[in-house]
Amino acid sequence: MIEIFVNDQSLHVNEGVLLIEALIQNRIDIPYFCYHEALGMDGNCRMCMVGIEGQKRPQIACDTIVKAGMRVHTTGERIEDVRRRILELELVNHPVDCPICDQAGECKLQDFYMDYGLYDSAVSKGEKVHGAKHVDLGANVMLDQERCVLCARCTRFTCNITKTHELGIIGRGDHARISTMPGRKLSNPYAMNVVDLCPVGALTSKDFRFAQRVWFLSSTPSVCHSCAKGCNIFIDHNAPKYQKERIYRFRPRRNDAVNGHFICDAGRLSYKSLNDHRLTCNNPDAMDRAKALIQAAHNIALLVDANLYCEQLDALVAFAQRIGAQLYCPNQCYYDEGFGDEWLRRPWRAANLAHINTLGITQSTPSEAHDLIISFNHPDLSSLTCKHKIAFSTHEGVEADVVLALRSWAEEAGTLINITA
Amino acid sequence: MFTFTPQNLQKIEALKSRYPSPNALALPLLWMVQEQEGTISLEAMEAAAPFCDLPPIELYRIATFYTMFKLAPTGRHHIQLCKTLSCALCGKAEILAHLQERLGIGVGEMTPDGRFSLEQVECLGSCGTAPVMQINDVNFENLTPKKIDEILKALS
Amino acid sequence: MRDARIVSRRFELPQSHTLEVARAHGAYTRLSEAFDKTPSELIEIIDQSGLRGKGGGGAGAGEKWKLMLPHDPRPKYLAVNCDESEPGTFKDRQIITKDPHLLIEGIILTCYAIGARAAYIYIRGEYRAHQQILQAAIDEAEAAGLLHVKGAPLLITVHRGAGAYICGEKSALLESMEGKRGHPRLKPKQKECEWYFGNPTLVNNVETIASVPFILYEGAAAYRSFGTEKSPGTLLFALSGHVQRPGVYEAEFGTSMMAYIEHFGGGIRKGKKLKAVIPGGASTAVLTAQEALEACLDYESMQSLYSALGTGGMIVMDEDTDMVLALKNLLEFYRHESCGQCTPCREGTGLADTLLSRVLEGHGNTGDIDKLLELASTMDGQTICVFAPAVAIVIRGFLLKFRSEFEARMHA
Ligand SMILES: Cc1cc2nc3c(=O)[nH]c(=O)nc-3n(C[C@H](O)[C@H](O)[C@H](O)COP(=O)(O)O)c2cc1C
Ligand code: SF4
Ligand code: SF4
Ligand code: SF4
Ligand code: FES
Ligand code: FES
Repeated sequence: MIEIFVNDQSLHVNEGVLLIEALIQNRIDIPYFCYHEALGMDGNCRMCMVGIEGQKRPQIACDTIVKAGMRVHTTGERIEDVRRRILELELVNHPVDCPICDQAGECKLQDFYMDYGLYDSAVSKGEKVHGAKHVDLGANVMLDQERCVLCARCTRFTCNITKTHELGIIGRGDHARISTMPGRKLSNPYAMNVVDLCPVGALTSKDFRFAQRVWFLSSTPSVCHSCAKGCNIFIDHNAPKYQKERIYRFRPRRNDAVNGHFICDAGRLSYKSLNDHRLTCNNPDAMDRAKALIQAAHNIALLVDANLYCEQLDALVAFAQRIGAQLYCPNQCYYDEGFGDEWLRRPWRAANLAHINTLGITQSTPSEAHDLIISFNHPDLSSLTCKHKIAFSTHEGVEADVVLALRSWAEEAGTLINITA
Repeated sequence: MFTFTPQNLQKIEALKSRYPSPNALALPLLWMVQEQEGTISLEAMEAAAPFCDLPPIELYRIATFYTMFKLAPTGRHHIQLCKTLSCALCGKAEILAHLQERLGIGVGEMTPDGRFSLEQVECLGSCGTAPVMQINDVNFENLTPKKIDEILKALS
Repeated sequence: MRDARIVSRRFELPQSHTLEVARAHGAYTRLSEAFDKTPSELIEIIDQSGLRGKGGGGAGAGEKWKLMLPHDPRPKYLAVNCDESEPGTFKDRQIITKDPHLLIEGIILTCYAIGARAAYIYIRGEYRAHQQILQAAIDEAEAAGLLHVKGAPLLITVHRGAGAYICGEKSALLESMEGKRGHPRLKPKQKECEWYFGNPTLVNNVETIASVPFILYEGAAAYRSFGTEKSPGTLLFALSGHVQRPGVYEAEFGTSMMAYIEHFGGGIRKGKKLKAVIPGGASTAVLTAQEALEACLDYESMQSLYSALGTGGMIVMDEDTDMVLALKNLLEFYRHESCGQCTPCREGTGLADTLLSRVLEGHGNTGDIDKLLELASTMDGQTICVFAPAVAIVIRGFLLKFRSEFEARMHA
């Protein structure tokens, strides 16, 4: 650790880190577009200007390594003036169409220019360099070239992280813009991360576009259930007037031990299944009928979904003991070899198989001897034959003697054990 | 389908030994494509990419950065008139007007028969003999309207 | 004016570009003298000579050569900068067409001194015909068994650019040679050599390298007998614009600018009066006629006039020149040539051009001059490379020295 001084306040930071990292970690306000913790520095936006004592000119914080005793200023007339003027240039060819932009509310450009009190572009609309407004890049990602600040975050993602090389900055000077190779599309299993990476509204999700203004949404931290990786996410949800609570999107939630800053597109879009065809209420006599079936049964199989939380599974183990049932979690239906990859995606497409393992639950199909299967949301119930079935289910369309509504994982709190290997 | 000519394939092999990495071949490859085909098609970029071990988008990025790479067809005689200061001081405007009148096309256009296309370019590095133009790879210097007439007449 | 021909010595000989003529007039005849010295002795001579880079920056050549890490195990490279795209500059093409063997000899010597066994000549794409002459000379030298450093084979490759002024900037040049777009690299925090695919690399201008044989054979003192204390030697200065005889003429540093224009250029065309001179390629601050009278062609004098020697390519403008149009012409150039990587330059060059268009279309007001000046300061010192600061210098030069011409175009 070394000591540096930022606005005369002493900070202890790790040796060798970039000044911008030190500032971000210590929650010191610094505007920036191109730097990103997962992508590193690129030095193109020139927004992260700071004053460093002993240096004649303002320096960019993303290209400066901290030095013991370094004295840095992030505020002050001179530095703010420089930033304001660079920001003003950023707006020269930008349409400033926040009222109709999906990014409004989570746009760094908007934040900064509000901070610096800039509302006018230096040139009129006719004098701007125009670009394409609604380019379908593929993978649910829409591009508005005019809103792009050319920070190269999206291109660095496809170049350095996924190494799929779909996106690039083409052209030169103020005609430079983001593009795919004509005729080719953005297509990789992680493509939609570029929407989160884009600091402005140039890249938006076709899936989310115009669905909601972001300031109406509440975010709840959670974990993706679409595979065993357990990527950390935010669930952005809201109950529109007179309607039921809906989930509008999943976003990655940073966890360096699991998923870093990113999630896969399949996981990201898995929120949809939590909104539609939900089973929400029970027949009034459902409980009584279920009780009767259980009392009448001689040999019960209790089928549990590997997406249930540990707490739920533990309770079900106790329940099985009480009613003398045998526990099963047939796992074949979770395995999808093709889904796994070298990065985040795991072939086991359930969130809590690790706990199923720990509990020693049988992972093959129940024997024919059972005369009643009680399923807790197991996805493969329909393929099993049995005299009687009771299904606790989050979704409609399950065939059983009795069907009872279950809350989805997004509506419950609990613990999961992921498989990172 | 684009393929390099056997001569170019040989040239590529020879060039490889001159550079520390095949990436360095990006510009030479695009030049070969353009010399072979007149323009650089997307298909040719896809075909050239493996030779320099780069993804096709990188070649596309390069092709759109350097102004001499042509993604759209030009005339058989592609006229590039210098528009920068020394040439402007020495009568470029008059030459441009004359060229446009003689060819019947504007800047950025091509004659209907595909013989000529006209472009204005930045300093050609021949400021001492301004005004200057290049037709394809050949320089024409100290231009006057009369000289333009002679040059155009000599071209088929 | 004293005759000072170091680089242009063989220019006027018939067939000077051929090996036969060059050799008959001394080329390659003294290589072994240099090979008898150690590389570090040669670097020392270059350092003593005070040779300064002739590509525009004027950095001390010896100092740069010393950064080449003599004990580093990685291969080393020489990249010769023949991008020559600075408007008003057309001197390197004289060397590669009139005496390419001088350049090749310089490359051999430089590679020996810095321990390189491969050299690249990055030539702008528009110099197609010139490239062919250069390539023929390299082939001739190779066939004659001349391409070696003290017996070890030396590879000289001509690498063709494709239309991008910014590729003259040394790190953009190397990016381009690595098969990328010509985006200048972020500057290192300490002095170090350049890097080509991660290997130590020296970038020097064609004329710098072409000056090496004279210095290594005749000695540092002989070089210093030309020019001034801080600007030793000679330069292929160039004249274009409104002069009688535009062209490239070698002269020693310290020569009076007006004497040069008179002597070599035959004075201003058509008996007109001088209005202004851009002294060293478009990116140096314009001088008024009055300043041109005081100016000498050396680094110190230009600096004292708040301009720069640059490439030594003078663009001469007579009394009829419209300075608003002249600036507009240059701003279009910079807008077209900005690599577009960093915001102040990408957007600033475009905005500057747009603002001046407004003025020319009659929609300008006096505030636009101040806007342009403010823009100049935003572009100055905030960018990845010095392209944008150069644009700032150009804008300030024109606006501050010829303000009344701009004001005359304004409404209010
Ligand atoms: C925008 C820009 C353009 C440049 N263009 C050239 C050029 O065309 N030729 C050149 O030799 N140097 C050019 N330079 C200077 C080079 O960066 C570099 O300093 C030079 O090639 C080093 O060689 P020297 O020290 O021998 O001059 C340019 C610099 C900048 C910033
Ligand atoms: S699209 Fe967004 S992320 Fe990509 S360069 Fe533009 S602003 Fe940056
Ligand atoms: S990798 Fe797995 S856990 Fe992560 S987002 Fe994708 S499906 Fe969800
Ligand atoms: S200053 Fe201009 S030319 Fe230099 S890196 Fe930035 S955008 Fe490119
Ligand atoms: S964050 Fe530092 S230059 Fe963009
Ligand atoms: S200005 Fe036309 S060649 Fe240089």
